[in-house]
Amino acid sequence: MSDKDPIKVMVVDDHPMWRDAVARDLAESGFEVVATASDGDQAVRRARAAGPDVLVLDLNLPVKPGVQVCKELVGHNPALRVLVLSASGEHADVLEAVKSGATGYLLKSASTEELLDAVRRTAVGDPVFTPGLAGLVLGEYRRLASDPAPAADPDRPKAPQLTERETEVLRLVAKGLSYKQIAERLVISHRTVQNHVQNTLGKLQLHNRVELVRYAIERGLDDE
Amino acid sequence: MRMSVEQPLWRALTGYRVLTMLYAVGLFATNYEEFDRPGIAIAYYVVLTVWTLATLPRVQSAAACTKRFLTVDLTVAITGIVLTPLAANDHHIQAGGTTLPSIWTAGSVLAFAIKGGWRWAAFASTPVAAANLIERGHPARDTVHNVILVWVASIAIGYVVEVARASERTLARALEIEAATRERERLARDIHDSVLQVLAMVQRRGSVLGGEAAELGRMAGEQEVALRTLVSGGLTPVSRISENAAEGAVVRAVDEETDDDGPVDLRALLAPYAAAKVSFAEPGTPVPLPPPAARELAAAVGAALDNVRRHAGEDARAWILVEDEPDEVIVTVRDDGPGIPEGRLAQAEGEGRLGVALSIRGRLRELGGSAEVISPPGQGTEVELKVPKVSRGKAGKR
Repeated sequence: MSDKDPIKVMVVDDHPMWRDAVARDLAESGFEVVATASDGDQAVRRARAAGPDVLVLDLNLPVKPGVQVCKELVGHNPALRVLVLSASGEHADVLEAVKSGATGYLLKSASTEELLDAVRRTAVGDPVFTPGLAGLVLGEYRRLASDPAPAADPDRPKAPQLTERETEVLRLVAKGLSYKQIAERLVISHRTVQNHVQNTLGKLQLHNRVELVRYAIERGLDDE
Repeated sequence: MRMSVEQPLWRALTGYRVLTMLYAVGLFATNYEEFDRPGIAIAYYVVLTVWTLATLPRVQSAAACTKRFLTVDLTVAITGIVLTPLAANDHHIQAGGTTLPSIWTAGSVLAFAIKGGWRWAAFASTPVAAANLIERGHPARDTVHNVILVWVASIAIGYVVEVARASERTLARALEIEAATRERERLARDIHDSVLQVLAMVQRRGSVLGGEAAELGRMAGEQEVALRTLVSGGLTPVSRISENAAEGAVVRAVDEETDDDGPVDLRALLAPYAAAKVSFAEPGTPVPLPPPAARELAAAVGAALDNVRRHAGEDARAWILVEDEPDEVIVTVRDDGPGIPEGRLAQAEGEGRLGVALSIRGRLRELGGSAEVISPPGQGTEVELKVPKVSRGKAGKR
């Protein structure tokens, strides 16, 4: 992406005050806000029409939940980057959104600078993690690994596992270290830290897709 | 539609009435010669057949089965019993031959039982018993035997119906409560989300406006963290009430308090430490620990956070990370304070300047765990607390 081309952003939030404030902040900082939407259905329709690079998505939406919006849009266009901006950060919702393709997660209590930085990073494909999200993702890998079922069923994909390094990186993220500090601590490059973080998400998303396909085949719905 | 416990009983009763009617007529036909005045019997059977078939819809459900129907039905049965000596010869009566309606009578009494429970059943079987004794003329042994049989059977079935109805009501109530709880949770989620948004917005705008507004913003921020920590893990545990009515679900009051011996969720004890400057990272599933271990661990985290405030200052930020490993629980408390210079850690420890950290270590040793303090240059201080899980057989392990 060249510097001339502003990043195209779409803001989805059912609270007008938030939608406008976020859109205004983004526009003032040189992003191009191509669309806004206030409910799930509207978000899906307008996103397909406007083709944003980054979708700033609230999870608690009327008509259609944010997680569903994320699933549909990323399924339709895998190049779309989704940054979840949530007020309550309910664990189940956040994990579900991340598994279905969101690569960033930020709380609404984050400052404007944090938000702008997060949108920029999301646009170039960098995962945006809060310590809270890192803790959830670590817990999710542990849960998947201790799930007793897989051994019995050979068709079931093996639970995804983190490498030692990935676990190490994720733990440091959860303890609030910046990527720069993590790179220093582990004596690796900033880029490598980003790759590790990205992989932790990628494996979860892949596992989720494989599980979905398996489920669909089991139920005879594979003619989608 | 939900399966009713009662409905099969009504269906069975309908079948019973038709079959026993045919049986009574058949019995009469095969023992025709025992009747002196078959005209009375034939007239009675015509009435019985018409009545039974015409009233089929009456025994489909409790609502259709009115008191008036029950009374007339019982009268038809008793009339049949009393008419028997007039129609049949003495030999038939003395040999213990069947009454005109025969076992059809029981259907009439059972209708009372299914409709109103054991009291109605007892009430209905009494005149039937009396009529049977009158028909026989004297209390013969087999008559008494039959009378008691009808009595006991109808009362028992009446009682079963009452129990079934009571459990059905309880189940309906439980389902109602569950639905209401779900709806309340949904509403609460929406409200919490809105409140959090407003608090976050006040914080955001306040910090931009500065001055007094900044102070308001800071306070809103504190409340935002407190409320978010409370709601982010979901509001209540998922109810385990079975919805399968056909299997006879067990219904009991859901008690929110766990018993004293059961493990507690460590996350719930640590969540209150989250604040504007303290981030709390946790797994999405409960981290069960025995209550004493969980309390000690939570106290140790509290002590570590006090230590952060004392040594790194009020402005220092802190992060709590909870990890649920297969055989141990790890809680890390990190701050972004100045840290402890290299080489000074052991010295400080030796001089007793890590008093709090040492007391934490002592507490954890008693739980069979450990506490490590590390301070990488420029990255603050980390206190890592580890508590082994009590091995509980093969639970969760392979």
